Amino acid sequence: MVAFEELVARHRDKIYARAYSMMRNEEEAIDLSQEAWVKAWQRLKQFQGESSFGTWMTRIVINLCLDQLRRHKRQRAESIEAMDEESGGVERHMPVVTVNPTERLERVELRQRIDQALSQLSEAHRTAIVLHEFEGMEYKEIAKAMECSIGTVMSRLFYARRKMAVLLSDLKKPE
Amino acid sequence: MNQELQLKLQAYVDGELPDGEAREVSELLTQDTEARALLAELKNTRAALAGYESETKLPEGRDFYWSKIKREIQRLDTPATAAAPVSIFAAWRRFLIPATAVAAVVIGVLIVGRQVGREGAFRGPETETTFADSGAFTYRDYASGMTLVWLPYPAENDFVETNPEVD
Repeated sequence: MVAFEELVARHRDKIYARAYSMMRNEEEAIDLSQEAWVKAWQRLKQFQGESSFGTWMTRIVINLCLDQLRRHKRQRAESIEAMDEESGGVERHMPVVTVNPTERLERVELRQRIDQALSQLSEAHRTAIVLHEFEGMEYKEIAKAMECSIGTVMSRLFYARRKMAVLLSDLKKPE
Repeated sequence: MNQELQLKLQAYVDGELPDGEAREVSELLTQDTEARALLAELKNTRAALAGYESETKLPEGRDFYWSKIKREIQRLDTPATAAAPVSIFAAWRRFLIPATAVAAVVIGVLIVGRQVGREGAFRGPETETTFADSGAFTYRDYASGMTLVWLPYPAENDFVETNPEVD
């Protein structure tokens, strides 16, 4: 148990950060990350060391977040946003953003803006971007995790990125 | 730019295109300014997101965060540890209680069964009607070994025979 506590201390920020990226809710992210640690304890014998412990743990927390997001989806009524999800809504027709948001913003400020932008994405779009950009998963892996086709993953990822680009450029500092 | 090309550009940025298609996109980028602009946007967004998560820190203190995990682990582990060591006396008692209950039920059933059997052996007086002649009936008392038969007089059949004008 002492050794496990040490593992928690070492990886807790990363596991929490992944849960927070996906859920955008501090309390929910804490609960899910703690649940992930309890699951990891129960399945510790299954960890074969094929990947790093950190990678194994992030997959556990991702699966828990995906389950939670599915529950959210079932609970809420179909929104216009959800209907637009596959078609990309307005993002497809938005003009290309030529300004690089990372150029003129301080890291702390950029981080706050990314936070806001991520919060404005739909859960499906955000999940696609988190799994691809932060977890480094390939399209087919994301499709399997999100239980959808590779084409859907590509669309979600594309529209998520486009919306992010617009949101970040809208929030940029005036020159 | 159509959607197919947009998604192809994205796959190119993500390194998900097969070599042949990647070459095609490379050639297209040398001629198409719109495609180049979109490519730059996609790359900028990726760059902006890089390192974002590593700066996210858990808002709770280490001990508080761990205490909940520890409690839950201990709660889940408790039934397994309680079931493991069972003393011989406890095991014997665990067997003895249901065994005693079963024995009591069996004994009860046997007693009641015997009682019912005895009562079944005692046969009280009974009467029966002989179907050949619905007017006659028999009374038997097994306890005193007595049998009485009542016969109507005159017998119904005889009555019919002796009174032909009834038909």
